[in-house]
Amino acid sequence: MLKKKGWLTSMSLVLAASVVLAGCGGNNNASSNDTAATNAGNTAKKEASSDSKETKNLTFMFRGGTDEQKAYEGVVKQFEADHPNVKVKIIVTAADQYATKLKASITGNSVPDVFYFESGDLKAYVNSGVLLDLTSYIEGNSNINLDNIWKYGVDLYRYDGTMAGQGNIYGMPKDVGPFALGYNKTMFEAAGVPLPDKDKPYTWDEFIKVAKQLTIDKDGDGKLDQFGAGFNVNWTLQSFVWSNGADWIDPTKTKVTIDDPKFAEALQFFADMQNKYGITPSTEQAQTLDTYQRWMKGEMAFFPVGPWDMSTYEKLPFDYDLIPYPAGSTGKSATWTGSLGIGASAKTKNPEEAVELINYLTASKEGMDALVKAKVQIPNLIDMATEWAADTTTKPANKEEFLQIVEDYGRVLPGHYTYNAEWYNLFFTDIQPVIDGKVTAAEYVKSEQPKMQKLLDKANEQEAKSKK
Amino acid sequence: MITKSNLYRKEKIYGFLFILPPLLGLLIFTLYPMIYSIYGSFTDWDGLGGMSFIGLSNFKDLWTDELFHKALFNTLFMMLGIPIGIVLALLLALGLNRGVPGTTAFRVIYYVPVISSLAAVSIMWNWAYNGDYGLVNQFLDLFGITGPNWMANKFTVKPALIIMAVWKGVGYTMLLYLAALQSVSRSYYEAAELDGANGFKAFWHITWPMVRPVTFFIIVTNIIGGSQIFTEMNIMTPTGGPEYASASVVFYIWQKAFGNFQMGYASAMAVVLGVFIFVVTLIQFRMNEKQSFDVD
Repeated sequence: MLKKKGWLTSMSLVLAASVVLAGCGGNNNASSNDTAATNAGNTAKKEASSDSKETKNLTFMFRGGTDEQKAYEGVVKQFEADHPNVKVKIIVTAADQYATKLKASITGNSVPDVFYFESGDLKAYVNSGVLLDLTSYIEGNSNINLDNIWKYGVDLYRYDGTMAGQGNIYGMPKDVGPFALGYNKTMFEAAGVPLPDKDKPYTWDEFIKVAKQLTIDKDGDGKLDQFGAGFNVNWTLQSFVWSNGADWIDPTKTKVTIDDPKFAEALQFFADMQNKYGITPSTEQAQTLDTYQRWMKGEMAFFPVGPWDMSTYEKLPFDYDLIPYPAGSTGKSATWTGSLGIGASAKTKNPEEAVELINYLTASKEGMDALVKAKVQIPNLIDMATEWAADTTTKPANKEEFLQIVEDYGRVLPGHYTYNAEWYNLFFTDIQPVIDGKVTAAEYVKSEQPKMQKLLDKANEQEAKSKK
Repeated sequence: MITKSNLYRKEKIYGFLFILPPLLGLLIFTLYPMIYSIYGSFTDWDGLGGMSFIGLSNFKDLWTDELFHKALFNTLFMMLGIPIGIVLALLLALGLNRGVPGTTAFRVIYYVPVISSLAAVSIMWNWAYNGDYGLVNQFLDLFGITGPNWMANKFTVKPALIIMAVWKGVGYTMLLYLAALQSVSRSYYEAAELDGANGFKAFWHITWPMVRPVTFFIIVTNIIGGSQIFTEMNIMTPTGGPEYASASVVFYIWQKAFGNFQMGYASAMAVVLGVFIFVVTLIQFRMNEKQSFDVD
C-alpha cells in the first residue's frame, strides 16, 4: 500500500516537474532571445565588417494567392542567388490563416525574421516590441531611395509613438493597392452611350443616369440581364462617403463621426442604387460573388478593379478601362488604397540581412521587375511605375488612374489609425437592413454611432495601456 | 513473496511508462494551456506583451456584451440541428436495417459527407446557397418558390448552417445507430409479436430503449462539438454574417483574440464556454444514470 502511494506521488512529481520545466523552457528561450536582440546590433556590425562567409539563415513568412506565391518564391530564390551566404526559409499560409499564425508565433516567441503584417496592426506590434525599427538601416542604405517609393506606402508604416503615419519606419510596403473603378467599354459602345471621361468624374446624378441607360433587358424575357452596377458595401461605400465630405472617424481618432448628415446622405445614396434607382442586380442580392461573376460575364457596366485583378481580367471577353469614382458634394473623387507591410522581427539575429531581404522585395529594381511581370501588383518604384503606366497597349489602357489614386486621391481605410478595427467592422456587421431598404441611413447612423463609439473608446484605452 | 513483489513493481513501472506519453501530451497540450487561459481570463493580456491582473473585469464586461450574447444565442440555436439529425439518422438506420437492396451503396452515399473536409463542404454549400444561381434556390424554383439569399439574410443564415451540419453529420450518426440496431436480439421482437405488439409499439418499447446508450453518446458528443462550431461560419460568413446572425461563441473568441488584440477577454469567453460545456455534460450524465438500466 505504502509503495503504491509512493509511486503515485513520485510519478505526479515527475509530471509536475516536466510541466514546470516545459514552462521554463519557453522562458529560457525568451530570455536568450532577448539577449540575442540586445547583442544583435553589435554582432551584426562585426559580421558585416569581417565579411564572414558563414551562412545566415532567415525565415520569411507571407501569404497570397497561388500566382502571388509563385512570384514571391521566385524573387526570394533570386535574392538567395545574389546573396550566396544567406539562406531563406519560406513559410507560406493561406490568406485567412495568416493573421492567426503570425499572432501565435508572436505569443510563442518564435517570430519569423521577415514577415507580412497589416498596416492596421502597426501600433500594437511596435508598442509590444515585435517590430524592428528599420529607420537607421534604410536611411543608411545607399540602395534604397525613399524619394522613389510611394510616400503614401512608406508613411503607412511610420509611427512616432502616438500617431501612425509619421516618425520612424517599422516596415516597407509590399505593394500599394489602389482600388479603382472600371467600366465595360464594349458595353458602352454597343449601347451607344458616350464613354466616361477619364479625367472628370461623374456627379452622382450623372452616374445614375448613365447606369440606368445600361440597365436593360437584352433578350426581352421580362428579366433584367444587364446592370449598371453592383457594389459591395464593405469595399465601395468609402468612396461615396469620402467624396461627400464625411468620414467614419474624426482627425484626432477619438470620435466616431458617422452621425454626420453628409455621411447619412452618402449611405442613403448607396442603398438607393438598389432600392430606388434599380441599377443593381436585385434588391435582395448584393453578394460580391454574384456581381463579380456578372462583371466577368460582361453583364455589369461599372465594377471596382484592383491591381491584383489585372492578371484575371486580361482574359475578359470585353474591353475595360479605368475611371475615377463618381464624386459627391465635394466634387472630388475618392477611394482607398490598400497595402500590406513587410517588417522584420525585433529579435532577429541577422537584422542586416533581414532588411536586405525587405529591400529586395519592396524597393529593388530586380525584385520589383519580377513581381510586376507576374502581374500581381503595381510597381513600388515611382520611375518604374510611370514607365509601366505609360504603356497603353496592355489592358487596362488608363493604368495612370492607379497611380493617381496612390499619389492623389486614395486614402487608407479608417481602421488603420486605431489600435484595432473592431469599431469600424461593427458598422458593416449591422449594415444589411440599410442595404435592403428596411432601415433608413439616417436612422442607422444614429443608432449605430454609440455602439461604435464604445468600441473605439475601448481600442483607445487598450492602446494607452499597451504603451506602458 | 519478495519475487512476486519485484515482478509486481516491474510491471507497474512498465504500466506507467506506457501511459506516460499520452499523459504528458495531456499535461503539456491541454492542461497547461487550459490553466494558462484561465489565468489569462483575469488579465488584460493583448496576446503580444505583458499581462496585468484585472480581476473579474472581463467577466463583468461579458455580462453586458451584446455581441457575446448574440454569439451565445446563435450557438445554442444551431444546436437545434442535433435532434433533427438524430431523428433523420435513426429513420435512415431503421430503413437500411430492413435489408433493402443496395444497403451498402446507401451507407457509402450517406457517409461520404462525413469523411469530406469541412472546409471543402463549406465552400460547396456556400455556392449551393448563393441567392442568385445557387443549387438550393434553383431546386426551390422547380416548385415555384423564390428562395431567399440564404447567407445574406439574418433569418435564413442559421437554418442554412443547420441544414448543412445535419447533412454533414447524419451519416456518422446513422452508422452508429445501424450498429446498435444490429446488436438488438431478434428474440425481443419475436416475443413482442407473440404478445400482439404492433410495429410502432415494438419500436417504442424495444428499439428505442435498446439504442439509448448510443443516443446518449450522440447527444453528448454533438453538444460538445456544437459548442465549438467555428469552421463553417469562418468560411461561409467571414464577418459573422448579417447583423452577426451566424457568429458562434468560438468565432467571436477568435475575432477578439486574433483580430483585436484582446486575448484576455477572449480567454474569459473560453472559460465561460468551457464551464457551460462541463455543466451541460454533467447534467446529462446524471440524467442518464437515473434512466439507465442494465441488460446483460
